[in-house]
Amino acid sequence: MNRPELQTVAASQQRVRERVGRSLRRRYRAERRFRACGLGAVLAGVLAVGGLFVSIVSTGYSVFWQTRITLDIQFVPEAVRAGDFTALVRAALRQQFPEVEGRQDLRQLYGLISDGAGYELRDRVAAEPGLSGTTAAIALLAADDVDQLRKGRSDRHAPEAERIISDRQLAWLDELDRRQRIHRQFNREFFTAGDSREPEQAGIRGALVGSFLTLLVTLLLSFPIGVAAAVYLEEFAPRNRLTDLIEVNINNLAAVPSIVFGLLGLAVFIQFFGVPRSAPLAGGLVLTLMTLPTIIIASRAAIRAVPPSIREAALGMGASPLQMVAHHVLPLALPGMLTGAIIGMARALGESAPLLMIGMVAFIADVPAGALSPATVLPVQVFLWADSPEPAFLERTSGAIIVLLVFLLLMNAAAVILRQKFERRW
Amino acid sequence: MDLERQQQRQTVGDITVPDPVICCRGVNVRYGDKPAIRDVSLDIAHHEVIAMIGPSGCGKSTLLRCLNRLNDTIPGAVVTGTITLDGQDIYDRQQDVVQLRARVGMVFQKPNPFPKSVYENVAYGPRIHGLAAGRAELDEIVQTSLQRAGLWDEVKDRLNQPGTALSGGQQQRLCIARTIAVSPEVILMDEPCSALDPIATARIEDLIDELRQNFTICIVTHSMQQAARVSQRTAYFHLGDLIEVGPTERIFTNPRHRLTEDYLTGRFG
Ligand SMILES: Nc1ncnc2c1ncn2[C@@H]1O[C@H](COP(=O)(O)OP(=O)(O)O)[C@@H](O)[C@H]1O
Ligand SMILES: [Mg+2]
Repeated sequence: MNRPELQTVAASQQRVRERVGRSLRRRYRAERRFRACGLGAVLAGVLAVGGLFVSIVSTGYSVFWQTRITLDIQFVPEAVRAGDFTALVRAALRQQFPEVEGRQDLRQLYGLISDGAGYELRDRVAAEPGLSGTTAAIALLAADDVDQLRKGRSDRHAPEAERIISDRQLAWLDELDRRQRIHRQFNREFFTAGDSREPEQAGIRGALVGSFLTLLVTLLLSFPIGVAAAVYLEEFAPRNRLTDLIEVNINNLAAVPSIVFGLLGLAVFIQFFGVPRSAPLAGGLVLTLMTLPTIIIASRAAIRAVPPSIREAALGMGASPLQMVAHHVLPLALPGMLTGAIIGMARALGESAPLLMIGMVAFIADVPAGALSPATVLPVQVFLWADSPEPAFLERTSGAIIVLLVFLLLMNAAAVILRQKFERRW
Repeated sequence: MDLERQQQRQTVGDITVPDPVICCRGVNVRYGDKPAIRDVSLDIAHHEVIAMIGPSGCGKSTLLRCLNRLNDTIPGAVVTGTITLDGQDIYDRQQDVVQLRARVGMVFQKPNPFPKSVYENVAYGPRIHGLAAGRAELDEIVQTSLQRAGLWDEVKDRLNQPGTALSGGQQQRLCIARTIAVSPEVILMDEPCSALDPIATARIEDLIDELRQNFTICIVTHSMQQAARVSQRTAYFHLGDLIEVGPTERIFTNPRHRLTEDYLTGRFG
């Protein structure tokens, strides 16, 4: 190599170094911009989710406490026998404020206590018959407006005309408070009572049981059918036009809007097969239609993820195709299948639209006794309460959403744990 | 390379043996339209180790997988010609695949123990074929199989640990133990050492030598040294043809076909 050539090489090396140096700065700037964008996107997502949680929890957390007013109830045997427990409550109220007279004022006074207090007393006496004839201090459910006021959710300093609670009622409440007769208690009834027209008496037990029964039907139907379909399609079905068509349809089914399944369920299960309306069985059948594609797709992916070497090992040992599937493929694919099932179930738990179509939106105060009795489910209960005018129902709505979210989080956590625990054991 | 010799694809050497276990006659395999092996005829004798060598893609695995009909599971694979095991056509309608695979076991290239315990791995074959009357008998089969595979001393204290937790060489010996647990007549080994280190490879080679007393072994290998060390006969394949067969000594010292010679001297491969 002669000198001029060396020089040009050195010059070009120098040039490359400079250019790279310049372009490097540009590249780093682009990189920083990209990172900032990504971080911004993540932050926006976190803020949205955080805001959602904060708003729901802040309106809903107070549902777990309920205001109660302690009154000295005189269990007059005649009234107990006649079942007129409301009269006992009213008498106890009058006893607190003997000066109140006139129908108008008395009605205001009685309005401090929930209409459900009488039923509470009835149940109390039924459980404890010895109460009849005695006097006992009993914490009674306050009316929803009182409860909201005590929780600071309605403004006591607003002009009287804008308040549901009148000035007189306020004065009585302050007096009761001074006598230490107003307390907050854990709201057990929220979890043990069914729906009610009165917000302070309304609970999610009916919706919880309804959701449980509906999901049970869904799981019992969709998991075995979905796994069987996936195994058949993956391991035994011949590859031809027909199976291709089935495959495409399963994938399409997963994208069908859920309300369409509700229409189908209404036409097929209820009108044709005569499944009772509003029943968890009908809901479970509809949700099975919706969940099946999810489970089939997840199960097929799980089966496909089982390495061919394991299949060959089994076949090479002389296992029949069914033995290969049952002994080796299924156990290895099961975690993946279960994960798919849990995610499908979580989706089904949060689903309301198709259930509206089959009448699970009716007002049902009783906790459903079985898969054939009328019921509603948690998200539909949320929908129903959100539609009610009483401000106290807003609190119930958020409370029910919190419970729903807790279940969804638990199910998703279970899926994540399952996936991590059983990931790739070969 | 002179053209005449290159196109000469008639198998060189004696394909027959007295008292064969397996006889292949005119075996053709194609995957869809693509031929994989053409007109292969080969006998395999009782209690011999026969090595199959040749460049990648020449059809060694394909022939091996014909012998236990594992090709049945590949869609589009078509096998013609006859293969007999102890005089019986294994592609006959009467032949049960499950029984055939119990008689012709297979060890794969990558160790593939089941993700179950060591014990369960070995016990699996006897279980599905109903070879053991009770737990005690099964225990004994597991122990003798592991002993024959030279693995017993290393795993006897951890029979309940997963087989996948063993080292690569141990896993491959576990796969051999699993295969011999059903007392097959023939063991097919498809590059059993290609995923192993030299020490593990040496152990498997010693093992193959011992197993020869009781089993017939067909081994596909990429290592010519391995073929020379463990086998009595060698078959050389080239692009789907069986080019040359003969006693290993003779093939390695005095190959008759030009292609064999080129391969052995490393001119391609
Ligand atoms: N499952 C299969 N489908 C289609 N072609 C295959 C399949 N398996 C092997 N082949 C083809 O058959 C030929 C022989 O393959 P193989 O027997 O695996 O060769 P070797 O084991 O000697 O390397 C190759 O050309 C390969 O591409
Ligand atoms: Mg191969």
